[in-house]
Amino acid sequence: MIHYLPTIRSDQNGYDNLADLAKATAKLTVDRLELDFSRVSFFDANMAAPLGAVLAGIADRFNAVEIVNVPQMVERILRKNGFLTQFRYLPLEDSNRTTIPFKRLQRSDEGLFEEYLQRHLKGKGIPRMTDGLGKVFKQKLFEVFQNAVIHSESELGIFVCGQFFPQKQKLDLTIADAGIGIRDNVRRYFKGVKIGSVDAIRWALREGNTTKKGKQPGGLGLKFLHDFAWLNKGRIHIVSRFGFYEFNAGQESFAKLENDFPGTTVTLEVNTADTSAYCLASEASRDGIF
Amino acid sequence: MKTPVIVRIFDIVGGPLCVSADDGQRVHDKIVPLLRDGTPVVLSFEQVETLISAFLNAAIGQLYGEFPEDRIRELVSVRDMDEEDQAVLKRVVDNAKTYFKAPKEFDQAWKEEVGDEE
Repeated sequence: MIHYLPTIRSDQNGYDNLADLAKATAKLTVDRLELDFSRVSFFDANMAAPLGAVLAGIADRFNAVEIVNVPQMVERILRKNGFLTQFRYLPLEDSNRTTIPFKRLQRSDEGLFEEYLQRHLKGKGIPRMTDGLGKVFKQKLFEVFQNAVIHSESELGIFVCGQFFPQKQKLDLTIADAGIGIRDNVRRYFKGVKIGSVDAIRWALREGNTTKKGKQPGGLGLKFLHDFAWLNKGRIHIVSRFGFYEFNAGQESFAKLENDFPGTTVTLEVNTADTSAYCLASEASRDGIF
Repeated sequence: MKTPVIVRIFDIVGGPLCVSADDGQRVHDKIVPLLRDGTPVVLSFEQVETLISAFLNAAIGQLYGEFPEDRIRELVSVRDMDEEDQAVLKRVVDNAKTYFKAPKEFDQAWKEEVGDEE
């Protein structure tokens, strides 16, 4: 089959368009997908992560995936970040050192994720990020990665990609898991209650709420992410199945997607010019912790 | 009181990254026998570079389901931990206390709020 991908921006509409691709190809098995980019006038580089997750699901059903008719500007970005090299395009050197490349990892690859962050967050045109901010940013990305490890049940892996915008002093990093989504985890936890995707995200964002069973408490990772974005004046997107959440400029918004987006994707946009001291709370002294 | 045992997190995890619940579980499993024995443990985070809540929930948070709070306060301490990480640990500990005190009521409140079917 041929599917024409529209413009993909890092916003609700972009995710809706990727969910539409997943829906259109849902029954495709042992076949061929020609993903035609001729209608893509713009593609936000970090969105290679969720696109990679959707395409991995399609390829997993023994389909051959080919990407064709990629406009030159889009092709340059997606060759620089290594996304298109999976589809037999030649790599292109990132002379501006602003790409955070596309990478597919397995759930057991925390060590490789560390190497990835170490290599691509430092020394690639990101000199302004202070050590304190860099440390906390990395910590939040690990929280997101570990959430995917614990909750996604993704057999396809975890997909990461980002982009640095030197003029805007922003850095986007997106982690997509192609797993079961927050909704299904919460439904299982509530034993069959038909919670919707938006409410499931709302539930998961509340401090202390976790679908982990057993002896380990949880439910802090997303809250920490939110607190960090608030302090940093950054931005978060969480997309999971039909649910879309945005935190931007201190405002939260929720929306429902038209189609079922596979798994969960989290984007953290960090304001790299932020020079705040990054102690998220000052009340902790070693004597008073326990 | 028994002589405190210094537990080096870096050595148990095998590196500076404390970013997985599995590694946290290994730390937990190492310290529980000491605590059952009444031995004070000093958790040293020397050389630890990155620490997340999922690790701390497993390593320390779940202790609150196994030991009384005052026993933990008496026997567990930390050192070589910067202020940011102490703040994260404090949140993990406070959350664990709440979680083990009233998990059922907390869940039930939400069950009444949700219900949209897709």
